[in-house]
Amino acid sequence: MKLPKVRELTEALKALITGPYTSKFPKKPHIAHPNFRGQPVFNPDKCVGCLACEYVCPAEAIGHEDIKDPKNPRRVMIHYTDTCIFCGCCEAACIADNEGIKLSNEWDLAFFDRSQAQETIEKELLLCEICGEPVACKDHLKWIAERLGELSYSSPTLYLSRLKELGIIDDNIIAASRDYSRSDRVKILCARHRRETTLSTK
Amino acid sequence: MAKSVVPIGPFHPLQEEPEFFTLTVDGETVVDIDVNIGYNHRGIEKLSERKSFDQSTFVIERICGICSTSHPFAYTRAVEDIIQVKPPERAEYIRTIIAEGERIHSHLLWLGLAGHFLGYNTVYMWVWKLREEILDVMEILSGNRNSYAMFKPGGVRRDIKSEDIPGVIKKIDSIVPTLNRLKKAVLDDPVLHARLKGIGILTYEDAIDYSALGPTARASGVAKDVRKDDPYGAYDKVDWDMIVTKTGDVFEKVVVRVLETYESIKIMKHCLLNLPEGDIDLNIKDIPPGEGIGTAEAPRGETFHYVRSDGTNRPARHKVRAPTFMNLPTCKATVVGETVSDATIILASIDPCYCCTERTAVRDTRGKRLYAAKELIRLSQQKTAQIKRKMGLK
Amino acid sequence: MTREELLADIKKRFSDDIMEFFDRSPRRVYIEIKPSSIVKIATYIFKDLQARFNIASGVDSRTHMEILYHFTLEPLNLLISLRVKLDRKNPRIESIAPVFRAANWIEREMSELLGIDFIGHPNLKRLLLADEWPQGVYPLRADYEEWDKNAIRDRGV
Repeated sequence: MKLPKVRELTEALKALITGPYTSKFPKKPHIAHPNFRGQPVFNPDKCVGCLACEYVCPAEAIGHEDIKDPKNPRRVMIHYTDTCIFCGCCEAACIADNEGIKLSNEWDLAFFDRSQAQETIEKELLLCEICGEPVACKDHLKWIAERLGELSYSSPTLYLSRLKELGIIDDNIIAASRDYSRSDRVKILCARHRRETTLSTK
Repeated sequence: MAKSVVPIGPFHPLQEEPEFFTLTVDGETVVDIDVNIGYNHRGIEKLSERKSFDQSTFVIERICGICSTSHPFAYTRAVEDIIQVKPPERAEYIRTIIAEGERIHSHLLWLGLAGHFLGYNTVYMWVWKLREEILDVMEILSGNRNSYAMFKPGGVRRDIKSEDIPGVIKKIDSIVPTLNRLKKAVLDDPVLHARLKGIGILTYEDAIDYSALGPTARASGVAKDVRKDDPYGAYDKVDWDMIVTKTGDVFEKVVVRVLETYESIKIMKHCLLNLPEGDIDLNIKDIPPGEGIGTAEAPRGETFHYVRSDGTNRPARHKVRAPTFMNLPTCKATVVGETVSDATIILASIDPCYCCTERTAVRDTRGKRLYAAKELIRLSQQKTAQIKRKMGLK
Repeated sequence: MTREELLADIKKRFSDDIMEFFDRSPRRVYIEIKPSSIVKIATYIFKDLQARFNIASGVDSRTHMEILYHFTLEPLNLLISLRVKLDRKNPRIESIAPVFRAANWIEREMSELLGIDFIGHPNLKRLLLADEWPQGVYPLRADYEEWDKNAIRDRGV
């Protein structure tokens, strides 16, 4: 059986000359292909804090925490790296033109302490002026108001937050008392209190 | 001569997944075989009832690492069967490309492992070096080497960019000369002939009685293949052959798988070069109450999914059947009568994928295993001792 | 035989066993039959029509228990599903494993996950669940409750 041996010998000699096929990682770093789906990364400027990514994630790897401090209300978005399956559903569902959370190229994510395996960003939150519960993130209300155009004047929550942000609101408009009457209609309220102030006949 | 029990598994250096075979041996000949499975049971059918239809695709993909495309393919066909729609043409072509790429890498993986089980480690290393090219191709096309996350009921989730295609075609073409050399080296080798020819024969009648599937059945003369009998994707638009041989021994199973790799390369290249323009998704919104059945050809046989919907956005019942579930009982017909040293290669020749076979679990829906590695070793040792005591042997 | 001839022949042959015949699409037919006639019809479809036994799926609807037996006829590209409805409190049916060996494992799996009793099965012992799993607890039933108090049910960190 001479001929088969020649076939295998040429393959073996070729392998001897070109060297081993494996790379010298970690001495030489490995750069992944640009198409590789790596770690999702939040973008604090584009993310609006709408929680669409959390709702859609199949592995429940995105969570949030609302901190209801009256002086600095904020929503913390958390992404758990150890639970993530890198599928890209969050990026596809993001309402801010798929830019709020994006899959980067990072793959070298090993860690020793599992409780540290999370990334967070903070978004400013608006609280209801009667009960103090969260309404929505400021950027989210701005996103809605931009798309509604002049229709956003139908809801005081929307137009007040927009005008406040533009810096052209008059503080006299917002009344200081809480009496569930007409003055309460011009406040930033959560849905329950919006219903109570608008529908009451007191 | 006294009979003895040879346990293979559950943790055995020759197997890549845990299963427990009990061979009753008389001298060197195997007299009886018993299979115990259940070590990989993960609760996927119950878990699928708590996720929505779109999210369930990702759970289904992770039933198996090697045949990970065939399960979402069959599942999306089942959901589309409930509403009786067909996805757009570009989506069908992309689905076919991903499925065939996976078939190539799965067959090459099996070929390497078969060489390893025989003790032929050179074949193992060379074939897995060849397999790296295909894994790089899948990374360019879908973003990951396994678990491609491309399927969605109604179409595909991501598109293939046309500037990637020439590089991919070049990589696929570079595999073929090495594959030719490998094919000749494997099929001409006298040692492999002596070890593989004439053992582990599965007759045609047994293959029909056990309802065997895939290359295991096609090596015995049963000419059934879902891609030809019930054409889906782009399989009816490409000219390709189904490989069927007659004898049913282990050597024929190797031949069937190697020749199928060539056909897969042909299909994949044709689909990449003739990709039509158009939408990639139908945007299905609601699934009405009903039931649907979807099938797909995995590298190991036919996968079967049955989905029942009750009008909400979660499946009411999802039944998964992997091909190894039907192929595994055939070991009773093929191993009995052979020698112990041939038993491992015969058991490996059905290309077993135990992760696909058992899907329920001793694990809760989101977190840790309830049995860790130490527990499993202790349990398996207890079980071997128990079986020996029951049979009255020491 | 063409598809129409085959279906008409089945309807005529087993006319007093068939309760509902649903011809859904060119490739899917769902036939509901009485539980007592499953062995007769399954033997006919497997041996005389030379269909391939695909799998059987057990479903727990809230009011009753259902089993669907799926057979594939490749030459006509047709999938016939036989449906039987069983009483939920005490589900029992005759086993078809003695007729062809392909049904052996799936009946073991249905008996341990849904609690269906198969009369005449040669070897009805556990297939997938662990030996420590308690008897009488069937995971795929709709009224299954978690029994293990020590299981970790959150992320675990």
